[in-house]
Order: sequence, then C-alpha cells, then structure tokens
Amino acid sequence: MTDPHWLSASEASRAFAAKTLSPVELVRHLLKRTEALDPKLNAYIRLDAEGALDAAHSAEKEIAQGRIRGPLHGVPVGVKDIFDVATLPTTCHSKVLIDNIAKTDAVSIQKLRQAGAVIMGKLSTHEFALGGPSFDLPFPPARNPWNPDHHPGGSSSGSGAGVCAGLFPVALGSDTGGSVRNPASACGIVGHKPTYGLVSRRGVFPLSFTLDHVGPLTRTVADAALMLDAIAGHDPEDPGSAPTQARHFGRLLDRGVRGLRIGFVRHFHETDMPAHPEVTAGLEEVSRVLQAEGAEVRTVHLPSLDEFRGINRVILSSEAWSIHAPWLRERPGDYGQLCRQRLLPGAFISAGEYVGAQRRRLQLIAAVEDVLRDVDVLLCASSMDPSSRLDDEPETTRTYPRQARAPFNVTGHPALAMMAGLSSGGLPVSVQFVGRYFDDATVLRVAAAYERATPWHKKHPPIG
Amino acid sequence: MDPTLLLALVRAAGLEKALAEFPDDVASAASQAMANAGAVQVPTDPRAEPWPPMRPGVGL
Repeated sequence: MTDPHWLSASEASRAFAAKTLSPVELVRHLLKRTEALDPKLNAYIRLDAEGALDAAHSAEKEIAQGRIRGPLHGVPVGVKDIFDVATLPTTCHSKVLIDNIAKTDAVSIQKLRQAGAVIMGKLSTHEFALGGPSFDLPFPPARNPWNPDHHPGGSSSGSGAGVCAGLFPVALGSDTGGSVRNPASACGIVGHKPTYGLVSRRGVFPLSFTLDHVGPLTRTVADAALMLDAIAGHDPEDPGSAPTQARHFGRLLDRGVRGLRIGFVRHFHETDMPAHPEVTAGLEEVSRVLQAEGAEVRTVHLPSLDEFRGINRVILSSEAWSIHAPWLRERPGDYGQLCRQRLLPGAFISAGEYVGAQRRRLQLIAAVEDVLRDVDVLLCASSMDPSSRLDDEPETTRTYPRQARAPFNVTGHPALAMMAGLSSGGLPVSVQFVGRYFDDATVLRVAAAYERATPWHKKHPPIG
Repeated sequence: MDPTLLLALVRAAGLEKALAEFPDDVASAASQAMANAGAVQVPTDPRAEPWPPMRPGVGL
C-alpha cells in the first residue's frame, strides 16, 4: 500500500470505504509527519491538531455508520491563513492582524466541512497574500520540499509546501496574480484557479476585489476536480459570485485529448519574457505529449505579457490600497517591508488611471475570448524559471515577476498549473492550461490526459 | 520624483507618518505607481467601457 501521506484524496476516500485506513489513523499519521518535517518547511502558521482529530473522529463514526458524505469525507485539508476558520486567528501572516480571531467560517470552509473534510490548520502565506517571501514577519516563510533552501512559490506558500511534502493531500489557496499556480509550479503539484465567480470569496481576506480567486492545490488533477466540486457554487452574498450551475468538474477526466484544439501561446515564454531553457524544453515536451495523445496543437497569439502585467499591477495596487489605506496611514511599521513596498504604490494611482486600466482590461478580455473561439484550451508557461533560493534576494526579485499567470486574473478565465518536469538542479518546472469561462472541466480534462501520459505526479520530493 | 510633488501627494494620501518612518519606501512607491500607470495603453475610443460592467440587482 502507498504510504498514507502520499495518498491522494481520492485514494484516501477509497481506503476509508474499504476500511483499510480510517480518518483518525490518517490524521494521526499526518500530525506525526508534520511534527517531523514542518520545522524544516514552515508550512503551518497554526496547526489545529485537536480540531482535526475531533473532525476525524466524527467522520470516522459517520463513515462506519454508512453515512458517507462524499469523496472528501474524512480527508485532511490545509487552509491558507487568509481564510476565516471559526475560532482560529486569521493573521494573513501579518503583525497587523495577529489577534484577529475569526467568528465564522469562510464559505469555502463551510462547504468543505459539509463535505466532511477535516481542517488541519492555517498555512503560511505572503503577508496579506502579497508581500513575501519575507523574514521580518511574525512567522517565517515556508520552504520548498524539493530543496528547503528554495522558495516554494507564493503567495499560497504553505499550501504548496504542505501538499508537496505530504502534510495533507489537498489545500486551499487564493490567486490574485498567480498565487495558487505559483506554488503549484514551484512545488511540482497541481494548482487550479477557477473561473472568476465560480468559488465564493466571502470570508477570505481580500487583496484585490476584481482579481481575487479561491482555488485548490492538490497532488493530482482528479483531486483538484473533487475540491472544486465541493467549493464551487453561487453565493448571493459575494458580489462577484456567478449564478452558475457548473458542477461535476471531473466528468471529462477520462476522455483524453483526441480531437481537442490546443493553442500554444509561445510568445509569452519565447519573446515577451524569454524563459529558462529547461522551462522552454519542458513546454515543448508538453506540446509533443499532447499531440501524441491526439490533440491538435497550434500556435496562437494573445496581447503581450507586459500589457497584462501593467494592468494587473494598476488594478491590484489600487484595490489593495482602498483596503489597507487606514492601516498604512496609522501603523505602517506593522507591515513587513516587502508588503509595505507593494501596497504603497496604490496611494499614488489616480481614479482616472484605475478606470483606464479597467477599460483596457475589457479589450484584453475580448482578445483572449477571440482566440478561445478557435481553440478549446490554451497551453502556456506558468513560471519562467525554477524557484530561486530564499536567501538570494536579488534572484528572487528577478524571477518572481517572470510569470504568465497574471493574464488570467485580468481576464478571469480558468487556469491550471502543474508539474512538467524536473530541472537539472532537481526543482520542478511547470506548464499552464487555460480554458473558456466556466469550462473548468475541459481544463481539468487536458491536465488529466497530460498527467496520465507522464510520470511527474508520481515523483515526490526527497524529504522523507 | 520631484520632492515637492511627492510631499503634496503624500499629504493628499494621508501618508505623512509612512513618509517620516519609511521615506525610501514611499518615494519608491510613488515612482513605481507612475511607471505602472504609464505602462497601461488606455483605450483612445471614448466609448470603450471599463470592466466589470454595472449589473443592477446582481450580487445584492
């Protein structure tokens, strides 16, 4: 049998049903593993062992009575520390909110509890999902299980590191400029940013209202679909929530890619922002694999990464300023330096400039929609480089913005990043798939076909 | 950025304390904001609308 810590959510669920493993046994095993490994990884800000064991006991009892809620019943989940989990602090990894105890669960947490999932605790993030990696915060930054000297990506750093290291099979993250897909890319796992409006953001500390998305980080594509099934759904109290009935996100996973048209956005990594050669080689290999599986891959063109990036920055900093202005005025020293530096530009952007960015945004959305009328899914880079060393600040500053994720926060299309190989330095390289609005199922279908055809999801970091 | 202009912008934003405690961060933010906003190709067509559109009754 697979070591319990490497079981996917789907496999754990099957083991519970077959009575070869119980939720309590799994949680105890993961708590022991966390005790051994997390001092090296800093994935957790706050482990809730007691709450997790209580929930696991309840799940175990219900499953034994045949009252199985679904495939996440008894499955441990890690939660980025910007989501409210009732009675636990939501610190956003910041001194500013160090004593901020959540009164109620975020909607996505409520939905996971309804599905029977076990909340393990709160995970490391960049400060307010923006400023990091930083060493001047109340908690240390998370580290990459493939090499703890390296950055695990961010801002959902603990979610990526913990899933990758086998501290829990699935986690929740948020994504405003790529913060679910970045740790998925750096840690060699799966990160899915759903279509904007598919998952409620209520109870998640906002960074940028029109760019924020909630999404899962998992070790398999099937688990990403399971998580999405649990957390998606219209929330009338989230103004950005879409009144969609989209469901059963895993329904196409076994269909393969034969007959699908895939648009390869080469200019992102070839000319807009030339990628590390091993990333480029990895992307070419993804294209070859998908063609071998029966897809038609053709080159397509979108607006440049510079265009998307400029718009993402103006919108993000303006909206974030509107949230943080009172604290930045009164207690600027309570922020870490990086977060402060990234929030302050919003103070100097005019209303006209913000609206101008939103007007250009609509044109970029139209340009991506035009391309997605001719192809079913886009294939492109996620990160342009393997992750940097945490202690190499200049290299982190250079590589962190070298990414092609922010375009799909600007447009709101569903986008998934996953492992596409290992660099010569033993660090993951990645690929990104992007789909039409509310067609997350087809994005997952392509990702699943790639996953089946390659060995990457079976690789684990050399961490024990 | 011109220091007089920077000071005026800081006062308008209420960031005097931040300027006193972290002058380099504030000055750098002002320059960065100018660069970021300047990089956006704002539509020249006056009819080009912003995203998201107003949707009366939705999300209330």
